[in-house]
Amino acid sequence: MNENTSLKRSMGLRASARISNSIIHILLIVISIIWLIPFACILLQSFRVESTWPVPYVIPETWGIDNYVRLFSTDFPRWYIMTFVIALVVAVCQTVIVLCMSYTLSRFRFKLRKFLMQFMLILGMFPGILAMIILYRVLDDLHLTGQYGNSLPGLILVYVASSGMGYYVSKGFFDTIPKSLDEAARVDGATRAQVLWKIILPLSKPIVIYTVLTAFMGPWGDFVFARYVSQLYPSAMNVAVGLQSWLATNAMTTSNYTMFCAGGVVVAIPVTILFMCLQKYYVEGVTGGAVKG
Amino acid sequence: MKKILAVMLALVLVLGLAACGGSTTTTTTTPSNSTDTTKTNTEPAAQGSSELAGTYDIVVWVGENAVELTQKQIAAYNETNTDGIKFNATVNPVSEATAADQMLVDVSAGADLYCFAQDQFARLVQGGALNQLGAKASEMVRAANDPGVVGAATAGDVLFAYPLTSDNGYFMYYDKSVIPEEDLDSLEALIADCEAADKYFAFEANTSAWYIASWFFGTGCVSEWTTETTDDGGVEFVSVNDTFNSANGLIAVKGMKKLVDSPMHLSSSKAAEFANGAAIVVTGTWDYEAAESILGDNLGATDLPSFEVDGNTYHLGSFNGCKLMGVKPQGDDVVKQAALHRLAQYLTDYERQMERFEALSWGPANLEAQQNEAVQANPGLAALLKQSPYSVPQGQIHGSWWDIAKVIADDVKAAEDEAGLQQALDNYRDKVASLFTMTADEKNAWSVIGAVGGTMWDTDFPMHQVEPGIFESDPIELHAAEEFKCRQGASWDNNFGINGAGGDNFVVEADGCYIIRLDTNTPDEPLSLKAAWSAIGAINGTSWDTDFPMALVEENVFESEPMELHAGEEFKVRQTGSWGVNYGATGPDGDNFVVEADGTYVIHFDLNTPEAPLSLIEG
Amino acid sequence: MERDSDMKRYTDMEYLRLSKGQKFLYKLLSFLISIPLKIWAGICKIGRFFKSLGVGLVRTLADIGVTFAKGDWKTKTSFFIMGFGNIARGQVLRGLLFLLFEAVFIFYMVFPTGGGYWIKMLGSLGVQGPIRSYNEILDQYVSVPQDNSFRILLYGVLTIFFIIAFIYTWRMNVKQNKIMEEILASGKKLKSGKDDLRSLVDDQFHKTLLALPLLGILIFTVMPIIFMILVAFTNYDGAHNGYTNALFTWVGLENFRTMFSWDVGGVNYAATFGEVLTWTLLWAFFATFTNYFLGIFVAMMINKKGIRVKKLWRTVLVMTIAVPQFISLLYVSKMFDVNGLVNGALKSLGLITQSIDFWGSTANNGLIARIMVIVINIWIGIPYLMLMATGILMNIPADLYESSRIDGASGWKQFSKITLPYMLFITGPYLLTQFTGNMNNFNVIFLLTGGRPTNPVASGASGSVGYTDLLITWLFKITTGSDTKYYLASVVGILVFLVVAIISLIVYNLLPSVKNEEDFQ
Repeated sequence: MNENTSLKRSMGLRASARISNSIIHILLIVISIIWLIPFACILLQSFRVESTWPVPYVIPETWGIDNYVRLFSTDFPRWYIMTFVIALVVAVCQTVIVLCMSYTLSRFRFKLRKFLMQFMLILGMFPGILAMIILYRVLDDLHLTGQYGNSLPGLILVYVASSGMGYYVSKGFFDTIPKSLDEAARVDGATRAQVLWKIILPLSKPIVIYTVLTAFMGPWGDFVFARYVSQLYPSAMNVAVGLQSWLATNAMTTSNYTMFCAGGVVVAIPVTILFMCLQKYYVEGVTGGAVKG
Repeated sequence: MKKILAVMLALVLVLGLAACGGSTTTTTTTPSNSTDTTKTNTEPAAQGSSELAGTYDIVVWVGENAVELTQKQIAAYNETNTDGIKFNATVNPVSEATAADQMLVDVSAGADLYCFAQDQFARLVQGGALNQLGAKASEMVRAANDPGVVGAATAGDVLFAYPLTSDNGYFMYYDKSVIPEEDLDSLEALIADCEAADKYFAFEANTSAWYIASWFFGTGCVSEWTTETTDDGGVEFVSVNDTFNSANGLIAVKGMKKLVDSPMHLSSSKAAEFANGAAIVVTGTWDYEAAESILGDNLGATDLPSFEVDGNTYHLGSFNGCKLMGVKPQGDDVVKQAALHRLAQYLTDYERQMERFEALSWGPANLEAQQNEAVQANPGLAALLKQSPYSVPQGQIHGSWWDIAKVIADDVKAAEDEAGLQQALDNYRDKVASLFTMTADEKNAWSVIGAVGGTMWDTDFPMHQVEPGIFESDPIELHAAEEFKCRQGASWDNNFGINGAGGDNFVVEADGCYIIRLDTNTPDEPLSLKAAWSAIGAINGTSWDTDFPMALVEENVFESEPMELHAGEEFKVRQTGSWGVNYGATGPDGDNFVVEADGTYVIHFDLNTPEAPLSLIEG
Repeated sequence: MERDSDMKRYTDMEYLRLSKGQKFLYKLLSFLISIPLKIWAGICKIGRFFKSLGVGLVRTLADIGVTFAKGDWKTKTSFFIMGFGNIARGQVLRGLLFLLFEAVFIFYMVFPTGGGYWIKMLGSLGVQGPIRSYNEILDQYVSVPQDNSFRILLYGVLTIFFIIAFIYTWRMNVKQNKIMEEILASGKKLKSGKDDLRSLVDDQFHKTLLALPLLGILIFTVMPIIFMILVAFTNYDGAHNGYTNALFTWVGLENFRTMFSWDVGGVNYAATFGEVLTWTLLWAFFATFTNYFLGIFVAMMINKKGIRVKKLWRTVLVMTIAVPQFISLLYVSKMFDVNGLVNGALKSLGLITQSIDFWGSTANNGLIARIMVIVINIWIGIPYLMLMATGILMNIPADLYESSRIDGASGWKQFSKITLPYMLFITGPYLLTQFTGNMNNFNVIFLLTGGRPTNPVASGASGSVGYTDLLITWLFKITTGSDTKYYLASVVGILVFLVVAIISLIVYNLLPSVKNEEDFQ
């Protein structure tokens, strides 16, 4: 291969790279448009004021914020605040629990460790839907349901209590932190607890943020169990159950559809912004942890 | 050993749970309040106006748009009632269409007073979520309301709910700018109009049995269900008279096919479809405002059209349903329960139904209110009234029927010829029949049926499996020239005659007592009679002219039914009802057995001891 | 055990010479052949487990006996008053905890409606249904519920948990006395309460950390699952809700028999189950692998050198993660309605004249709806894969690509020889969890189609099955449908578990990278 042909080839490569890059750019633009269409539609429909039912066109004929104004005459603000509080508390508690669980399973070697991990794997294979009816009864007996005006602590309890099962990702992350760090600290006389506080946690920012983020996002979307727990008291609903109740029948869909869209937008905004801001950590958490199982 | 700590924590939580569980159980065993609401004052009020006086915390479920009105009405009741009853009501919006779903998840957490669409009635009664009306209340409700609605609130002959409306029927809304007036009576013309104008004909055929039934009612088919209340207060469907699978049913599906095959057919029942290119929407009064807000003056409402099959026209029928209001059983809190019934009565009386009509256009179930001029002038209700000659009261329908019937339209659309249509109906019939065929065992069981044992092909005599493929009946007395066959699962799908499957009737040749034997392993000649032993004599009021069958109790041992015998009575045991083979007290062809003392005996016949085969066993 | 000898066993050298496909086939075959062996091994393992359990139990009992016989009076008293030995020997904190636990346990068990009551009732699930009467004065029909089968089952199970915990604690108490005697006999000092507390944050730290999470799992996951399994052996349904209408009771294996033998009037549960299971597996397969490969593909596009505004593309894609599914999926479901935006748009573009019934068409077993849910699931699922793949792709050593480029490998070759194997190796376990996760993917199906289109053949089966119903949504429909057969839902739930477990076991055996977690460290 002489100089000349090699040069030609590299030029050819550059040219073909440019072409393929342009194709990829176009592809990405197309994908992005497809990805955004539904969200754009929700947004546009939420500003439609000429009618309140589903229509086969996107651009409103008359624009306005009536739907958003109407939101505040309903129980929506209440649902919203309630869901927000649940999400915050769950984010904190669940993170603590998941980190305890995953850190222990990653760092300690004790008698029942293997058994515990296999046991939880098997537990995860049971469909959880049926358990909801039982958990609902337990909550009702503990007076943590809609009729006692206590659905908020009830939901938090259930969301947090079983969260230890979701230790996989963060355990994977802890597995990647070298054990020699712990051992060095132990030699210096630190207790296990001090090792966790002073050595491991500072190194675990991505996975902590990842866990907080996923825990925070979870409660916004629960509509099956939360519906049981609310016992249809509007004051005890979370935002998903409340918004769904607007579309319960055909007649209600006809009068609430655009307001539903507006509600959806208001719900999506904080979660989306938070997610976008913390995306970097999310990626680090996922790639650091998820693939390690 | 910090396991202790973990165990302690577990302990606290378990205790917490168990203590709650425990206390609620105590309340069920000692007279106290129910778990769901707190009654602030059960003592009769000092004024002593009534034994019901007091303040009650209650939860009420009504449809979203009726919340405000109901609150007002309850407030009015608190003001006006003379019994000293005060309700502290929490009124929650719960759609009448889904109230039962939530109610049945946990009855004790459900509302004390709630409204529901009648199709959920049977489930609610069965789930123990409806309290039966008292005798006086029943009488009043029956007298004041539309009989169709009263029927919808009745299981067996017990009234379980209060009529709230009688407008849960459907009719046709149309766009006057598209549909010419003269076409309104003909389905074919309407379809043509829609296709010509590229507009939809919305009729919710593909997902709702409620609408599908329209076609069948149009051709005179019925699906009538019979309920009985059970001992434990539930309701049970005992039979159905369903003629959807019939010649008329075939006509109905042919008519249906015309619509569902049209490219402009839309399976929907939302008035909002008018905004999406529909010219016709079949729905009910609840959609009147939505339809009017879209079409304005172009909105028309009338009865359903007629369709034509083989030169005959059939007017589409409809369900005429209603909404009901129920009271949840309050356990041992009888006073609160009685107060709730008072309120329910008040909320469903003439004035309150009229208020609801004026505020929400809900069609009243009250007979007097139905005669009101304003009610009759309402356009939606007028159309419903116009449809009413063709409508069928919804009555009680098995909960699974809705799932079974809703697929008919899909089957019909997929059908390519008349056989396909018939297949759709056959599928439907089988599924309906399956609701009453309880177990696989019963389905597989063989039985004898015929003009035997005093029955006329209407009673199945059970058979028992003795070996794989071989079944035997109990001993039965047969007479010459009597005929029978054997069939499986009490249906003729699988049956055996004398010359095999589906063959001729087996004809009995000689009188006698026999066991009927079915051997499916020899399908050419499956049926045979097996000699059965019988006792005969001057016993039990007969004189040597009646055989009393004896059943096999163990190998070579037979016993009769218990019967009263008297000292001095005589009998023998013979086979096949003839004297060819017979036994007496001393063996084959022996002397008659003589009863020694009066008593109730079982005649015991033991072939293992042929010299003295007969004995009597008391009992 | 005799081995099926049809298949040639390769030596290591021969094996290495095989091509990729042959290797996989070989592995698969060896696995299939080894199944009977594995089952046998499993049975042996279970046998050994029980044997060791029995031996352990005998030993424990013997040990308890010896402890009692040889122990001093403090130890002997501890057999009846837990923690007495600890207190008498100076370990007050431990002793008091033991004592408190015993007191609470006894109080709970003898309390009139406490543990003793629940255990007693567990055998029958209640004896007295609601008592009905008529109150003439008030003209009221009264129905007073008595026993509550649901609570009996629930608290019976909890009480059994509690009793096991008590037995365990009691055994611990006995053992401690023995240890204490030994320590004192050897002249050493016992740990003080302070030492105990310190060890909780040090060498026993894992117990502190695990206590709360495991307790939560025990009560909020394990207990409901046990309850659910037990329900499959009762007749708990809408007509026997256990309290207000009629009690429910044990029926043995009756429900399983119904599940497998019921065939009346075209309603055949076994066939329905088979049909739904087939679609569930198909769905899980397509949902997992379309997302997987398309996700990697998109990630590679974005990561390619020379692609601008990488962050923007990623941000756009992760919108579907950020927006709660009940909004996005419900909305998309409406978009594809007969009169939804999509049909409207297609029509105004002149591509179609008649609306496409995406969710309702029953043609070809609801093929359109089935394809649609898989396609829309791509929209939901790609971003996760994209994010994950992005991280992994960055970790692939760049020199691998470098050297392959020098060897003249094409882009495709690089992908199939380097990227894909690397990805597959790292994400093997993740793929498995994705697959089982998709089998139980309730949200996508429930929000998009709710199971539609209706399956005419299976619709008579409890819960009204549709063509896109997964086992999990069918199960949900059974519990909320017109006849609320909880027992049947439980049976289906148990079957779902079995299917998932079997699949996991097979994959687990085929994927080397799942097995050894230490490899990754």
